[in-house]
Amino acid sequence: MASVLIIGHLWAVIGRPLEFATQGPFGASPSMTRFRDPVRGYSQFAYLDHGYAFFAPEPGPSHLIRATLTQPTGTDATPTGTDATASSPSPVEPLVRNYPDLNDQWPRLLYHRHFMLAEFLNDIHHPPGEPPQEIAQNPVAIREWIQARRRYETVRDSILNRLQTAYPQATVAIDRLEHRQPGLPEFMEDNVPLDAPQLYFVLPDAPPPLPLEPLPPAPIDDSPAAESPAAESTDSETVREPEPATLGRSEAARDARPLVRPIIPRLPLRAPIEVTP
Amino acid sequence: MSAILPDHDAARNATGNAPLNGMGNAITAVRGATTAWAASWITAWDQFWFTPQRPHTLALIRIATGLMLLYSQAVLALRLGDFLGDEAWVNNRTIAALNRGEFGAPSAARSYLWLISSPVLLWGHHLLTMAASACLAIGFMTRFTAPLAWFLQLMLIHRLTGVLFGLDQITTMLAMYLMIAPSGAVFSVDAWLRKRLAGPIARDARLAWLFPDDSPSVMAAIATRLAQIHLCVIYLFGGLWKARGTTWWDGTAMWFAAANYEYQSLNLTWLGRFPVVFSALTHLTVFWEVFYCALVWPKLTRPLVLATAVAVHGGIALFLGMMTFGSMMIVANAIFVSPDWIARLTDRGADQRSADSSLTR
Repeated sequence: MASVLIIGHLWAVIGRPLEFATQGPFGASPSMTRFRDPVRGYSQFAYLDHGYAFFAPEPGPSHLIRATLTQPTGTDATPTGTDATASSPSPVEPLVRNYPDLNDQWPRLLYHRHFMLAEFLNDIHHPPGEPPQEIAQNPVAIREWIQARRRYETVRDSILNRLQTAYPQATVAIDRLEHRQPGLPEFMEDNVPLDAPQLYFVLPDAPPPLPLEPLPPAPIDDSPAAESPAAESTDSETVREPEPATLGRSEAARDARPLVRPIIPRLPLRAPIEVTP
Repeated sequence: MSAILPDHDAARNATGNAPLNGMGNAITAVRGATTAWAASWITAWDQFWFTPQRPHTLALIRIATGLMLLYSQAVLALRLGDFLGDEAWVNNRTIAALNRGEFGAPSAARSYLWLISSPVLLWGHHLLTMAASACLAIGFMTRFTAPLAWFLQLMLIHRLTGVLFGLDQITTMLAMYLMIAPSGAVFSVDAWLRKRLAGPIARDARLAWLFPDDSPSVMAAIATRLAQIHLCVIYLFGGLWKARGTTWWDGTAMWFAAANYEYQSLNLTWLGRFPVVFSALTHLTVFWEVFYCALVWPKLTRPLVLATAVAVHGGIALFLGMMTFGSMMIVANAIFVSPDWIARLTDRGADQRSADSSLTR
């Protein structure tokens, strides 16, 4: 009997990491999902349902929440409650607060909780608008699309509500910020500090409208040069997409690149890049 | 680990001695070999899981886990309203909707804390949670307070969706394994009470269960093995996930971790001047994580694997702003330290103290 319980528990321990590791653009591997099904409830309740992807697949950029609190002219900008430590600007100047913020959240664990909140909001972000044509015939995918947006909006509204409670006089708005790390040459040769303004980007809620160019059919080329790094670098120079590794985008995000590529205007070297979700 | 491997010699003898002069004999020989092979695996399984162990390692982990739970909950208490209740960052209605399946599949990660709006009740519950964690740390009535601490932590965790990270995973995991073992048998108030109540405990089996002694037990063995295997799973998948990334292969991942401004607590960017060093550290990290599950078992490689764990997690604790998470990962790795070794160490210390005190008398 003890052995049966042990095996059942180990099943729950291994089930979620297997399911999570086999995620692809179309969801998890069906066999791994089925494998986990019998112990799904137990692993969720016992908090065993983790993928353990620490700093993986890349140690990517950080995400923050930027709250802009605009006070009506002539009102007192003093916040209430736990946010009372914030500096009060003049009544006409909007108060801008970032979460996490080491100046406000102490000890470090409290700062880290706010950091995780910002990462959570970014993780669940889903763009607004109608589902794309590619899934128009798939009711399950359409439902998931709508649910994903509603989930994001519900959490975002909860955060807005929390800020509104702390700043009852203000008009509250939040943005998601991405803070990428400088690459080694940027840091060592150009002396770009880790908190340089050009490393912060506002992530738009909806992807900006971009003219679309159909991808040309893939050339059939068996020559070794087709797989050489030189061939890759030529392509990346033409399109000027940021290095996925530099931005730390997830592999799943790269796999999910659209079939049509946006025409991205040429950017100056190491210029801030608007990252679209 | 060699002790738990199946006895292949037994299987070989079963086939080697069988007279193979016909189909029937061949079947008998194969059956015998299979039976012997299966029996050897069953023996190895039993040996691995059910050989009684002393509780000393678990007791040390209990102290650290209880203190970390207490600290984590105390930090939450600094701004309890930000994390629990109707005006939290993720408020009650949102957390209930997330877990009840309004935006996808429902989850069994339920918590009654979604239903509580009253600040007084939330504070009362939080103080009870902290008290249970404190009791776990000091080992007071551990048979009851360890499961209580785990359950209350679970309820808290299921309410805190959105602000959780690795620290919560590791502390909750350890609390779960600690509650199934007599982890309060040593280094605890229970151990002190056991000495004080020696008479009644000798006469009453229920009291003896409530205040267990530090003799080897099967439950300590099961808890230890479960925690060990769970840790192996964590590292294996941590390593496999890293192996999917580009920067963990080209050696720059350590740089990008060091250059993350939000994580940084001590400046590690000087590593940028030593690409050979940070790329080697990157490769070492992936290799260590992937092969942890194999190399931590042999006595030859175990010290090296555990020393690497201390270095990696110590680095995370000092430089990447996660003192709590880094420390708890080091604590979790202590599960591979032999309880007999700790017992000998503490017994020797106690003997020494006793000799010193008799000399000074």
